Amino acid sequence: MQQLDKITEYLDTVRQQVRWKKAQPIVLDEIQNHITDQKNAFLNDGFDEETATDKAIAEMGDPVVVGEKLNRVHKPKPDWSLLALTVAMLLLGLAIQFFIHSTLGGAWRFERQLVSSGIAIPVMLAAYFFDFTIVGKYPKLAFFALCVITIACLFFTGTVNGRSPSMIYPLLLFPTAFAGFVYSMRNKGYGGLILCGAVFIIPAVLSYYVPSATVLFLLCVSCLAILTGAVLKGWFNIRKRLGILILYIPTAAVLTTPFFIIMGEGYKAKRIQAIFNPSLDPTGAGYMGTIIRRLLSNSQFIGEGFPINGYMPYEAFHILPEINTDFLLTYLIYRLGWIVLIVTIALFAAFIIRAIILCMKQKSVLGFLTSLAIVSTFAVQCIVYIASNLGFLLFSPLSLPLISYGGKILVTNMFLIGLLLSVFRTGALVRDTTGTVAVNLNRFIQYDDGRIIIDLKGNLIK
Amino acid sequence: MAIDKSLYTGSTTMLILKLLEEADMYGYQMIEELNRKSKNVFELKAGTLYPLLHALEQKELVTSYDETADNTRVRKYYSITKNGHKYLHEKKKEWKAYTSAVNDVLGGTNYATA
Repeated sequence: MQQLDKITEYLDTVRQQVRWKKAQPIVLDEIQNHITDQKNAFLNDGFDEETATDKAIAEMGDPVVVGEKLNRVHKPKPDWSLLALTVAMLLLGLAIQFFIHSTLGGAWRFERQLVSSGIAIPVMLAAYFFDFTIVGKYPKLAFFALCVITIACLFFTGTVNGRSPSMIYPLLLFPTAFAGFVYSMRNKGYGGLILCGAVFIIPAVLSYYVPSATVLFLLCVSCLAILTGAVLKGWFNIRKRLGILILYIPTAAVLTTPFFIIMGEGYKAKRIQAIFNPSLDPTGAGYMGTIIRRLLSNSQFIGEGFPINGYMPYEAFHILPEINTDFLLTYLIYRLGWIVLIVTIALFAAFIIRAIILCMKQKSVLGFLTSLAIVSTFAVQCIVYIASNLGFLLFSPLSLPLISYGGKILVTNMFLIGLLLSVFRTGALVRDTTGTVAVNLNRFIQYDDGRIIIDLKGNLIK
Repeated sequence: MAIDKSLYTGSTTMLILKLLEEADMYGYQMIEELNRKSKNVFELKAGTLYPLLHALEQKELVTSYDETADNTRVRKYYSITKNGHKYLHEKKKEWKAYTSAVNDVLGGTNYATA
């Protein structure tokens, strides 16, 4: 026992030097392993237990010095570029809201957006310092809770024109919860993959009750990305190619069927055609598309666009609805020039590309899947918004994250960004340990590369 | 043989990367290998090795993975990355230039006496 105490004492001294708590267990495990190896080597050399322990500890070096060196290496690493981009987007959003509402009137809206930012920033910081691994610890609970909240929004919040837009906010959190769920399916094989697909149906059906095709599209893209990532990382322990086929063939089938059904119905087919060519129906289904295209074709690179024939007595903000929310970019391009679009795209592209690079670098599957979920949620919003503001209206815009008007969507997106940055800040230390022991016990017969491996308490028979 | 420490602190990174170029290893194994290969000249302390390895991992010169050893203990293995290979190549070149320069100077006295 005394020998063990000496080792514990040594480790404790090292631990006290490493200030970042999250780094401690990983660092100490490795050092403890090392001491054990060293001690066993001395025991093999014929030393007695006590001498072997003492010598092993002496070999390690001064625990304070070792701990200090480790402390210097292990510090949380905030990604300053993403933090700066977040601040830039938030400030740009407020500047734009100020500009819009001072030109159009309704300064109270700007004040409201300011208050919303005041709420969103602490929410983001809370998520940022929050231990994101909780996503993987209680995945089923989180998923279930989100379902309950979304359904509660459906029944207990008001509807606008028969829609329940407040459901959108919890639905935007689903990909992240889904990442946690997929994470809990480690080594569950084809059944696990299919179960994930089945679970995906819940938020998909909920999005139908909003109803919002954009949210459904976002959920599809994001969850598909998560499952693809998990299959390619070998998370389900299945053959990768077959896994991808299982994933994509039913998805393609499900996604294309409604398209063919719609094309068979006169009215809806007309709407779809109008998306690609608004001038086919300029006063009906192609109305918005036509206005947007006319505004854009009269826009300049810098400065206010040229007057538009046919709409002459009216200002751009009279003919274009939802300027502060859904068609902010179209209006700004017409009002201030294409430069606005270039700046916006540059800002969002920088954020998304940087986030994808960091996401790909995540060593833990939990960090990888969580950040993938958030990046895709963010990216789909941006892409849909920019596409629709350029007149491609297949999906109606949800929001331009942190820029377009709306308090709840701002808080939701800031929460997600906080969580994303938390993954990047601490992700290097997260390890996917849960489940390994169970796997070793359960799967004592494994099939690997044409061999059957029977693992009897660690003695491999091949 | 004991050697003045300052002679090899800068080159420890190079030695570690060289070891990992041959095979993935865990920390204890690296110290043993280094001892064996240098005929006990390089007695690297674990307290020096781990902070260095962790720093190399952050610089993406090495990467690590866990493997379960004798069914209970999880060992952290290190493996060299593409960047690590590149870095090692650079360091080797520098080292060769340095040693040949030292040899030239040391050899220079011989030349003078000849």
